[in-house]
Amino acid sequence: MRYEIRVDGHLSEPLIKVFPELDHVTMSGQTLLFGHVVDEAHLYGLLARCQSLGLRVLEMRQVPE
Amino acid sequence: MTVPEEDDSPVVEDLADPRGDPFLRTRFAVPARPVTYLRRERLTRHLDQAVATPLTMVNGSAGAGKTLLVADWVAGRAGLPVAWLTTDAAGEGPGVFWAYLLRALRTAGVPLPADVGVPADANRVGPALPARLAAELSGRERPVVVVLDEFDRVTAPEIAEQLEFVLHHAGAGLRLVLVTRTEPLLPLHRYRAAGELTEIRDAELAFTPHEAGRLLELHGLRLPPAAVGGLVERTRGWAAGLRLCALAAGQSPDPEIYLKEFEADRSAIADFLLAEVLKRQDAGTQELLLRVSVLDRFGPGLANAVTGREDAEGILDRLSRGNAFVEHLGHGLYRLHPLFAEILRAHLRMRRPGLEPELHRRAAAWLRRSGALAEALGHGAAADDWQFTADALIDDLAIGQFFTGPRSDTITELFSGMGREGAGAAPELVRAAVRLARCDIDGGLTRLHRAQRELAEHDDTADDAAARLSCALLEALAARLAGAPDRAEDAARSAAELLDMVPAELLDRHPELTALLLDHLGSVRLWAGHFEEARSALTAVAGLAPGAATALPREDSLGRLALIDCLNGWLGRAERTAREALAETERFGLSPPSGSGVEQLVLAAVAVDRDELGRAESLLGTSAESHPAMRDPVLEAGRALTTARLHLARGDTEAALHAVEREVRADVASPWVRAETALVAAAAQLAEGRARAAAGLLPEMPDEQPACAVGAARVQLAAGRTEAAVRLLDRVRPEGRAGPAVTVRAALVRARAADEAGDRAAARALVARALAQARQEGLRRPFVEAGPWIRPYLAASPHRPATGRPAPRTGPPSRRPTPPPPVVEELSGRERDVLRRLALTMSTEEIAADLYVSVNTVKTHLKSVYRKLSVNRRNEAVRRARELDLL
Repeated sequence: MRYEIRVDGHLSEPLIKVFPELDHVTMSGQTLLFGHVVDEAHLYGLLARCQSLGLRVLEMRQVPE
Repeated sequence: MTVPEEDDSPVVEDLADPRGDPFLRTRFAVPARPVTYLRRERLTRHLDQAVATPLTMVNGSAGAGKTLLVADWVAGRAGLPVAWLTTDAAGEGPGVFWAYLLRALRTAGVPLPADVGVPADANRVGPALPARLAAELSGRERPVVVVLDEFDRVTAPEIAEQLEFVLHHAGAGLRLVLVTRTEPLLPLHRYRAAGELTEIRDAELAFTPHEAGRLLELHGLRLPPAAVGGLVERTRGWAAGLRLCALAAGQSPDPEIYLKEFEADRSAIADFLLAEVLKRQDAGTQELLLRVSVLDRFGPGLANAVTGREDAEGILDRLSRGNAFVEHLGHGLYRLHPLFAEILRAHLRMRRPGLEPELHRRAAAWLRRSGALAEALGHGAAADDWQFTADALIDDLAIGQFFTGPRSDTITELFSGMGREGAGAAPELVRAAVRLARCDIDGGLTRLHRAQRELAEHDDTADDAAARLSCALLEALAARLAGAPDRAEDAARSAAELLDMVPAELLDRHPELTALLLDHLGSVRLWAGHFEEARSALTAVAGLAPGAATALPREDSLGRLALIDCLNGWLGRAERTAREALAETERFGLSPPSGSGVEQLVLAAVAVDRDELGRAESLLGTSAESHPAMRDPVLEAGRALTTARLHLARGDTEAALHAVEREVRADVASPWVRAETALVAAAAQLAEGRARAAAGLLPEMPDEQPACAVGAARVQLAAGRTEAAVRLLDRVRPEGRAGPAVTVRAALVRARAADEAGDRAAARALVARALAQARQEGLRRPFVEAGPWIRPYLAASPHRPATGRPAPRTGPPSRRPTPPPPVVEELSGRERDVLRRLALTMSTEEIAADLYVSVNTVKTHLKSVYRKLSVNRRNEAVRRARELDLL
C-alpha cells in the first residue's frame, strides 16, 4: 500500500529522519511524507509517531501503486 | 542520591510491587505546578463538575496542559481523597495496572481490606479483584477521585473493560478522571448520553489571546495585543508552544521582533521551538538534554552516568525551575516532557549517530549498581547487550521471575529479543528458563547443560554461586517436568550447599527462588510416591509468607498437599486445603492459565467420591488450563485418573479406559499412578462383568499403599476370592493409616465377605460403621459402587438417611450429611446487609431500594456473598448462612 501523509509545517532534518522509510517533499508550509506502508499496524504506527512528535496531520490518503 | 528514601506513607503495602521500586513511587505523586503556571478559572470551574459525574475525560494533544490543569484542580480540592496514578510505559498488562491502581488508592489513604486481592500475574487479572474493589468503593460515604494520567498509554482492551466495570459498580463511591491524548476504549457515548461525562477537549484547552497574554507576562514578556493574537494564531493556543515561544523570545535581544519572525516561519511548531530553545542552552546543558532523552525517569546520578560529567544536579534543578523540557517528579527524580523527549531523541540520533546503545549500556550499568534491576534489564535489552542483561538477571538471583510473580511476563517479553549472541553461563541459563517456562523440557535441558559446562570450566565458587544456584533451580524444574526424582534430589542437594554462599539479602529479595525449588522437589517426590517427604517440602512452601512473588508456588504446593490427602482418602482435609489454594489464586488474581489448577483437580476427585458428578465435570473443565511450568506428570496423571473415575461413575467404561490409555511421559514410572491406573482398568472390567480380566490386573497393584491395597481387595472379592481379599486387608491394615475414602471401602469389602459367609450381624455392624464414617466426609460413591448386596443393610442401618426414602439406587445419603466447608473469607458489613434482606425473601430491586444503592451494586454484593459461601443460588446462600450462624 502506498500512502501519503501531509503534515503542517516544514520538518527539520532530525524529524525527517524519524521517518526513514518514507520520502518527503516540502511545499508551502507543509511537508508531504510518502512511501510504501506495510500494513495497518505500520500505518497506525506512523500516525502515533506523528502524534508523539507534536506534528499536525492535515491529510492522510492511500495513493495508487 | 537519586534512589529516594522509603515511602513515608504508612498504609502502603509492599505487596503491590514486591521490589518496592523507588522509580515507580513518583507515579503516585500529583505533579507539582511550575511557578509560571497560569490558572484558568473557566477550566477549573468546568472541572468542578467532575465531582458530579462518574467519568471525566481531559483529552488533548501532547503539551496542551492537561496534566497540570488536573493537578492544579486536585490541589484546590483539599476535602476530597484523590488517588493519582501516572500510567507507565505502553503495553503494561492488567496485573501491573491494577496493582498500581490499588497502591495509588492506598497511598491516597483509601482503606482497602486485604481481601481485595493483589494481582500476581502481570498480564491477567481475574474478575474477582475488580468486583471486590467496586463493592468496596460503592460502600464509601464520600467518593474518591481517581486520576489516571497519560491514560493513552493503556492499550489493553481488558483494562478499559475492567475499569468500566469498577466505575459502573462503584456508583457514587468513585469519580474517575482520565487524562489522555487519545480516545479511551470506554463506552463514552453511553456516559455522554446519560449526562454522566465531564469532557474537556483540545478546543477548550487552547489558550485564548487574553490568557496567552497573561501567560507571557508570567514569563516576563509584555506584548501588544496584536502580537499576542498573532502568536495564538500561529500556535493555535497550544500551551507547550506558547511556553517555548516565551522561553525562546525571552532569551533573544528583541522579543517582539523574534516573535514576528516566528510567526512568519513555516516550520512545524514543536520541532522549531524545541530547536530554538535548545540552541540557546550552553553546550553542557544541550548535551545533557540530548543524552537523557533515552531515559524515562532519572535523577542527577543517572544523568551524570550518561553524560560522563558531574554537573547534572545543578542543570536539572535550573531546567525544571525554568519549566523548559524538564519536569521535577519529586523524590529527586526528573523526566523530560514526553513530546520533547521524542524530538530530542531524534536530534540525538542525528547529532551523535551510534551513541544511543552506549547510553543505554551506561544507564543499565548505573541502574544495576543502584539495585534497580527492572530498569537495568530494560536498558540492557535496549542496548542489545544480552550478555550484560542476562548477567544482571542471574547475578541478582531473579531467575525465578520467569515463572512466578507479577513480572514474569515482562521478563519473558524482555528476553524475547535475545538471539544467539551472548555466550557464557548466564545467557544459556536465561535461554533454558525461557524454554522450561513453556514446558519445553528438551530445549531447556540442552541449554541448561551448556550452562553447566560453562560453569564447570571456571571453578571459582563465590563469584558464580548465583549462577550455580539458578542452574540448580532449573535442573530441579526440568527433573520435575520429566518426572525424574533422583535428578531433582541431586539438584536440591547442590542448591542447599549453594544457599549459604549467596548473600542472604538476595535470598530475602527473591523468596520465589526457594519456594519454587521446594515446590519442584515436593511435586517430584509426590510423583515418586514418597508422600511424607513430599509433604514436608510442600508444607514448607505453603507456610511461606503470602506475597505476589510466591503466589504460584504457594498455590501449587497447597494444591498438591490436598492431592496427597485425597490419595490417602482424607476427603474433608483435601477439600479444605484445596479451597485454601483456590483462595490464594483468587487473592492474587491467578486466573487460568496462570495458576497450576491442581486444586480444581482435587476438588473434582472429591466431588466424584461424593457422587456430585456434574460438579466434578465442571471442576475438571476449569482445571484444563494450567501454568506451563507446573504441567508435570503428577498433574497430567491426576487429570487422567480423575476423568476416568468420573466416566466410571457415569457407567461409561470405554471413555474411562480411554482416559487412562495414554501413558504419562516420565523418566521414572510412578508406583501409585501405575496402581491407580490398573485399578481404573480393573473397575472398568468389573463393570463389564469380566471379573477374571480384572483379576489379571492385580499384579499391577502394589499393595504398600492402603488405597491400592483396598482396591486390589475389592477386585479379589469381585473375582470370588473372598478369603484372599480379607487376608490382604488384614495384612495391610488400611484402617489405621488412611482416611475414610479408603477405610469405608475396606469396611465394605469386609462386610461383603461377612455377608457371603452368612454372618449378617458382623456385616450389618461393618456397614453401619462405614456409613458413620462416610457421613462425616459426605462420601457416597463407595456405597453406589458396592453392588446390590448392600441394600438390605442400608435400609436397616440406624445411620440410614433421615429422609426415610428407600434408596432408589443403592443408598447414598440424599442430603449432604457433612458440615459444609468453613467460610474462607469473612462477609463484609454490606454483604451481611444484603444477605439479611435476602433471607426476608426481598427481591434484588427491593434490596437496592432499601439500601439506597443501585441494582447492579446489589448484584455485585450477591456475587461476592455466593462466592464466599461457595453457593450458586439465593436459597442456598440463605441456608448456608443459617448453618453458619451468619444471620
